[in-house]
Amino acid sequence: MKITDILTLYDKILIVFVIILSLVLLLIPFYFFGGSAEGEELILRVQQGDELIKTVAVADSYQEPIIFKVQGPIGVHTIEVNQGRVRVKEAPADDPLKICEKTGWIDREGPIIVCVPNSLSLWLESTNSDIDGMSW
Amino acid sequence: MKKTKKIVVISLLISLGLVLHLVESFFPLSAVVPGAKLGLANIVSLIAISLLGFGAAFQVVIFRVVLGSLLAGTFMTINFYLSFSGGILSFLLMYLAYYFLKDYFSLIGISIIGAVAHNTAQITAAYFIIANRGIFYYLPFLVLLALPTGLGVGLVSFFTLKHLPYSITGGNFNDKKSK
Repeated sequence: MKITDILTLYDKILIVFVIILSLVLLLIPFYFFGGSAEGEELILRVQQGDELIKTVAVADSYQEPIIFKVQGPIGVHTIEVNQGRVRVKEAPADDPLKICEKTGWIDREGPIIVCVPNSLSLWLESTNSDIDGMSW
Repeated sequence: MKKTKKIVVISLLISLGLVLHLVESFFPLSAVVPGAKLGLANIVSLIAISLLGFGAAFQVVIFRVVLGSLLAGTFMTINFYLSFSGGILSFLLMYLAYYFLKDYFSLIGISIIGAVAHNTAQITAAYFIIANRGIFYYLPFLVLLALPTGLGVGLVSFFTLKHLPYSITGGNFNDKKSK
């Protein structure tokens, strides 16, 4: 029995619709951010709940890595800024999924590192960008 | 289906769902897209929806989520609310799709609907917790990933139902196209 015997016409329509929808959604951030411009400065913003708790200029991380800790309800996050990239170096032991740690490095505008149990989010923002990270 | 048999089938499906939930954690899809997973537990929801009615299938989903979080030690934490919201919304949409659009969609289509609903519900729930719109950046990736995983889950459910003996299915699953 082949897969084409199981798939109905409406299944195929649904699949094509989902692909188109997600591609359109994928392209929206690119429309806003474009390519990285020359001489742009990235800023790391750390937000907990709806409160901005820390801002770090990523350019400072080229000499030596910046490592700092953020306290949340379930524990302490160790965040590392190194060579213009950002990651969560260590998630709290109580975080069952450790998604923030698994996300790895981010080095441009767009991706975001989140730790939902600690309501923590980290993202990079370009200083010469017209829109801020919250407006899209 | 007799009442005793129904209880047995429900409990079998719940335990299967719990095992699949565990197996799922062996595949670190979160490294590809944060928050992504295979959704193997959806196989059980789909089978439950096809074999049992709304009430029994709803029981399977609720007990799977609650027992799963109790076993993982995340009961009543934020992770629990996330999987609860995803589980309930995807179940409701799959149920509606199965009962009203059964003639149009195969189990694969219904499973894709469930996977997309699950991702959307989880991202939305996470958005309310972290209050950062940037999280929607991952939604298209998750939705795109929901296609292959939904397809796989739909296929597995289809063939499982196809090979279940009549004493369990009771003729509730009729495979129109292969006849």
